[in-house]
Amino acid sequence: MTAGLPTGFEGWVAEAARASGGRGLEWLDAQRRSALEQASAQGLPTNKDEQWRYTSLKGLQEQAFALSAEPLTALQPDDIEEALVAGLDSHRVVLVNGRFSPELSPLEDLPEGVRIAGLAQLLESDPDVLRGELNGVAGDELPLFAALNTAGLDDGVVVIVDDRRIVERPIELIHLSVGLDEPRVAQPRNLVILNAGAQATLIERYLSLGDSLYCTNCVTEVSLGRDALLAHERIQDESPNAFHITGFYLRQDTASSYRGINIGLGARWARTDLCVSFSGEHAECDLQGLYLAGDGQLMDYHLDVDHSLPNCRSQENFKGILYGKGRAVFDGLVFVAEDAQKTDAAMSNRNLMLSESAEVDTKPQLEINADDVKCSHGTTVGRIEPEMLFYLRSRGISAPIARRMLCLGFAGEIIDKLGAEPLRDYVTEQVGRRLESAPLS
Amino acid sequence: MTSTQAVDDIVKSEYEHGFTTEIESDTLPPGLDEDVVRAISKRKGEPEFMTELRLKAYRHWLTMTEPEWPAVDYPKIDFQAISYFSAPKRPEDAPKSLDEIDPALLETYNKLGIPIEEQKALAGIAVDAVFDSVSVATTFRETLAEAGVIFCSISEAVHDCPELIRQYMGSVVPHTDNYYAALNAAVFSDGTFVYVPKGVRCPMELSTYFRINARNTGQFERTLIVAEEGSYVSYLEGCTAPQRDENQLHAAVVELIALEGAEIKYSTVQNWYPGDEQGKGGIYNFVTKRGDCRGARSKISWTQVETGSAITWKYPSCLLRGEDSVGEFYSVAVTKGRQQADTGTKMIHIGKGTRSTIVSKGISAGQGRQTYRGLVRIGQRAEGARNHTQCDSLLIGDRCTANTFPYIEVKHPSAQMEHEATTSKISDDELFYCRSRGLTEEDAVSMIVNGFCKEVFNELPMEFAVEAQKLLSISLEGAVG
Repeated sequence: MTAGLPTGFEGWVAEAARASGGRGLEWLDAQRRSALEQASAQGLPTNKDEQWRYTSLKGLQEQAFALSAEPLTALQPDDIEEALVAGLDSHRVVLVNGRFSPELSPLEDLPEGVRIAGLAQLLESDPDVLRGELNGVAGDELPLFAALNTAGLDDGVVVIVDDRRIVERPIELIHLSVGLDEPRVAQPRNLVILNAGAQATLIERYLSLGDSLYCTNCVTEVSLGRDALLAHERIQDESPNAFHITGFYLRQDTASSYRGINIGLGARWARTDLCVSFSGEHAECDLQGLYLAGDGQLMDYHLDVDHSLPNCRSQENFKGILYGKGRAVFDGLVFVAEDAQKTDAAMSNRNLMLSESAEVDTKPQLEINADDVKCSHGTTVGRIEPEMLFYLRSRGISAPIARRMLCLGFAGEIIDKLGAEPLRDYVTEQVGRRLESAPLS
Repeated sequence: MTSTQAVDDIVKSEYEHGFTTEIESDTLPPGLDEDVVRAISKRKGEPEFMTELRLKAYRHWLTMTEPEWPAVDYPKIDFQAISYFSAPKRPEDAPKSLDEIDPALLETYNKLGIPIEEQKALAGIAVDAVFDSVSVATTFRETLAEAGVIFCSISEAVHDCPELIRQYMGSVVPHTDNYYAALNAAVFSDGTFVYVPKGVRCPMELSTYFRINARNTGQFERTLIVAEEGSYVSYLEGCTAPQRDENQLHAAVVELIALEGAEIKYSTVQNWYPGDEQGKGGIYNFVTKRGDCRGARSKISWTQVETGSAITWKYPSCLLRGEDSVGEFYSVAVTKGRQQADTGTKMIHIGKGTRSTIVSKGISAGQGRQTYRGLVRIGQRAEGARNHTQCDSLLIGDRCTANTFPYIEVKHPSAQMEHEATTSKISDDELFYCRSRGLTEEDAVSMIVNGFCKEVFNELPMEFAVEAQKLLSISLEGAVG
């Protein structure tokens, strides 16, 4: 059955197949089996595949990953101190190598009407809640990595907020990877459901203790009910040797509002697919993004915004800074269906190139089948303006500092949109630290 | 035994013995194989090297598959059902007078203000040799010869200056480039050759419209323009009036070569038959156009107004190899009814300080489908390269489509590139403004659309620009309201 997938993925698939079927849930097994078949049927994409035109899977393929087995129980709250953001007050959920860790997740003081649980836990205790919800947004036809994630679906985090509940403190999901002897794949699966009128802030952070080699292949599905509001901040800061793959699926009902910020800093190879769809009119979606790609790093973003219904608004604004041998790919598509009149969509991708050997491939696309719409896209690639540099230098600021200031200013537009001040400071510091070590020439 | 079979047999027997003999028919039977390719070359009396080039292209074509990536739908083409060579039509086959011509076509001619004699020529009516543009053409040729400019058909050029053909043909669009370029290289019927010597500024705008000898160049046209150091030439292709044409598939190849400091300006107005209301019978226009800025400070500028054809599929491109060379692309494409257009450009920045500008205006009405597909690539050595791209789409009607698929690849930090795209309909405010000043809705739309396209029309030679504006208004008639 795994004939379509080359070596390197075999262990991945076999483990996924082995993991499935253990819970006696017929619907879940069926879903996993179908996903595995899909993954095998698809095989590995090549650069002839439009979605993978600029991104090579070679590096990933060379690794022989195994699935993350048992969680490390040895980790104590003190051990993860360095992974926390100082001063950030949140409902903290910690996953270690893709598995929910109850010891590290202090969830006693959750407000009423909010349910946060580990996926494996919930599949054990109350599986009916999840029936129809897993892949409810992503759909049945999955791209390769989401299919692999589904095939091995076992653990992750589930967040459900009841009607009209407002969660004051942000919910913080920390996906932590800790060093293992052999390269492993973690496939966390997250499900976030905000029912009608609910409001919440979700912070997702992907990071590691140490700089080991591993792969995170996560899928997050978010479903927003009528009038629901979600602020979603994702910070990918994996180990410099890691591979990171995200499949993010969002569906918004009538008049709901989504404000997403994607920050990509870590991993040597990161692929992020963001898919947005609407199930009701007058919904608003705002996707902001910032990525830094330094030596040997690849940051690959794919956006797919499907305006199938009228009167919805979406905005996509991604900014990138490239240095060293960094590479970035941005492939955004805004699709407007035949009757989706009054759609308002704006896509923008701006890149700052700091070195000779960096590369940007960008492809902002519009596919429009309705006439009464306002759609635009813009993209720029450039370096730091010599005039700006001169301005700062003439005021006695050294060139490296001036460059860093200008880069931080460029990045600041996105960072400033983060809701919590401690998080803003944390990200600014992370960005600043990278720029400092970057060979600026 | 039918005559087709007879010819087939002749063709086959030649192959068996490895000889070729003259085939006496005017038109080759449908179908394509090596013998047909040989026969075409033979009929045209081409030298050995051309025959070899054609065969090489044909053999390569066999290994290729038809591309399917463009956003256009059409029934599969049966390449064995096409006749690949037809001699110029004999007068007795042509319509005898304007009475035999489709009245809708005549109405368009009248709206464009085309003189009656030209109408006849355009409609393919057999006209006697004495016709204004013949003498005009002769005068032109004399003037050009004085300046040293070679302006003739490719067939003539193959005989008269084979060394130039050998040197340049296929050097910008090799036969391996794509499916239709390979096909064209194997079976091209005829086309235009322009050679502008060093330092010469071509004394007039060159236009196929006036070029009698290139009539009936057929469906596989080949154009080659070479501008030597410091020269300048402006070439106009096509014409605003809809032309009668029996060939459904058009797979042309255009190659431009600009050496140091040279400038080539290539303007196209394409208004072939778009098919009936169901989109049947229209022309498929699958063209490969590419310019090569080989020398430093050279410049190639493409301007196109595409209003005809059932399917337009072309990307006039520039290879910017010389330092500080410049590429430009200005396009207006109109799709209405069931027309489909997948068009755009490629700007490949290789040399230092290269600059390019892309302005694309798409107008989609009725059930028209329109796609801008472009590539801007800034290579590792293209220091200080600069690109500005602007593609705007105007939608008229709620069943039309406008897609924008730009590809941008940047490998040098000093490059500056900007891409902007917008899609919108004619705003009610604009319409109201015009209407409150007494303009009819149709006039108002025409005015707004012409304003929308102004940036491109400004690039067209004067008389073309005026015609293009009229053409646009006619094209969109009835599309609004």
